[in-house]
Amino acid sequence: MNMKEQNALPIVFASFFKSGFKAKRTRAFILLSLIPVLLMLIMRVMETAGSLAANDAANFFAKVMLVLYFQLLVPVLALFFGSTIVNDELDNKTLVYLTTVPVRRRAVLLGKYLAAFLQAALLVGCGFLLCFLAANITRLGDAAAWEELAVFLGTSLLSLFCYSALFTAAGAFMKKSILIGLFFVFGWESVVQYFPGVTQKFTIIHWVKSLLPVPPGEGGFLIFQLQPSPPLESVLVLLAAGFLFLILAVFIFERKEYILSDNA
Amino acid sequence: MTAVLQAEKLSKWYGNILGISDINLEIGSGITGLLGPNGAGKSTFLRIAAGQLKPKIGRLTIFGEEVFGNHLLFRRIGFCPEHDSAYSEMSGWQFILLLARLHGFDRKTAAQMSEKALATVGLLESRDRQVKGYSFGMRQRLRLASSILHEPEILMLDEPLRGVDPLWRIRIMQLIKDYGRQGRTVIVSSHILPEIESMTSEIVLIHQGKIFAKGDIHRIRGLIDSHPHQVSLRCLRPRQLAQKLIESDFVSSVDFGPDGRSLTVKTNQRDLFFTALIRLIAEDGLEIEEITSPDDNLQAVFDYLIGK
Repeated sequence: MNMKEQNALPIVFASFFKSGFKAKRTRAFILLSLIPVLLMLIMRVMETAGSLAANDAANFFAKVMLVLYFQLLVPVLALFFGSTIVNDELDNKTLVYLTTVPVRRRAVLLGKYLAAFLQAALLVGCGFLLCFLAANITRLGDAAAWEELAVFLGTSLLSLFCYSALFTAAGAFMKKSILIGLFFVFGWESVVQYFPGVTQKFTIIHWVKSLLPVPPGEGGFLIFQLQPSPPLESVLVLLAAGFLFLILAVFIFERKEYILSDNA
Repeated sequence: MTAVLQAEKLSKWYGNILGISDINLEIGSGITGLLGPNGAGKSTFLRIAAGQLKPKIGRLTIFGEEVFGNHLLFRRIGFCPEHDSAYSEMSGWQFILLLARLHGFDRKTAAQMSEKALATVGLLESRDRQVKGYSFGMRQRLRLASSILHEPEILMLDEPLRGVDPLWRIRIMQLIKDYGRQGRTVIVSSHILPEIESMTSEIVLIHQGKIFAKGDIHRIRGLIDSHPHQVSLRCLRPRQLAQKLIESDFVSSVDFGPDGRSLTVKTNQRDLFFTALIRLIAEDGLEIEEITSPDDNLQAVFDYLIGK
């Protein structure tokens, strides 16, 4: 029999990345991620038609879109993609297939995590790119604009990486992790980020916002009371937190006994 | 017998709910039927054996090794779960191929093994359809394919015939028997006695989380047959029928129902009773509208055996 020990991670990744796009939830999120693009296009059309002042679309992008993306879309996508990595397997009772094959559980979890992360990153990245192009159509020849885009995209990827790792760990630990995740995103993160001093550093959004190239005072409520941390420190914290959450997720997933209902 | 699977003082409970309790069991090669009513603990036992659950007390080993977290052991184990579960966005082919690849086969071999497994369960022609378009019986066969595709040395099947049409029921039974004949170990659970009876004579009776009896099915059949069976009949002339039946040695009592058209017969020799009943219908022209046997379900059999 032609059998060999091999790394299962790429196999799991490829399979779930492909099948993930057929899921109804992913299709719903594709539509959701197009809403900001639509808003941005409306702003651009209105500006072109003269209904808005010049640069209003660009300002709208800086003031509203960044909030929409970094405080809403990225955490929500990360929450749904991250927490369902294990929870979907439990709800659909399919976990048994991935845990009765001769591969380490960590390869299964990480393969599925990478697939979910890349799907979410594609949704956010494509939407963000389209929004950016619509907002900055007049300054596409400006290198600074592209530099800004690179920072936005990099920050959104880092943000997705960290949030989805956290929610993957939560999903591996408990069954109804989405509720806890919603509380975290719209409760803890929304409130604590405005606390003065060190407290706001106990949120992911603090480190994400610290990377955004919007000078204080120009970002409106986006940077209200934000005391930004240095960019390098923010990148390192987000990376370290993301990896720690992933290690925690693997630790839980390898040891936890998952009971697929109707016991007996 | 060299034990392939060995359970020692195995217990498992979920909160206050007992799964299995103090099970000591050795299973060798060939087919072993795990028989018990719903909720008896069959699935809990198989899930521990398939490394899905951890025992609370005791241990279970397969080929001398504990199963939970022992991923390499799954090269030798095939498990068909009871749950109707599948990746509905995948096609049958994608699902089986994914598992074949995860079993460590290279692309070419994985494709060959997947094709063989799907052909065995009759799903080759519908391999490209999404699983969500499969019928219940097809999904059941797909689960079976997932458990046999890597040709395991020990195959554990949790209610594998549930929802399968009669034709495929026979074919799957044949497949299981072939596996047993090849010297592999097959553990098949069911709550239907005749199903198990047609596949093997070696059975383990499990009830309320405990092993109730183990051994040759004929011995257990004897135990079952020595207890009186009840048969309820509904006919136009119940008094005439009762008169004929009570004359025979194998009928111990006859009770009339309140509607005046039904009667309940107790017999110690079920087979003889039915032979006589058929004769009465044919010779005396007694028209029977309905025959029900409350004792035919396994729960009733267990109730008899434990003296309820």
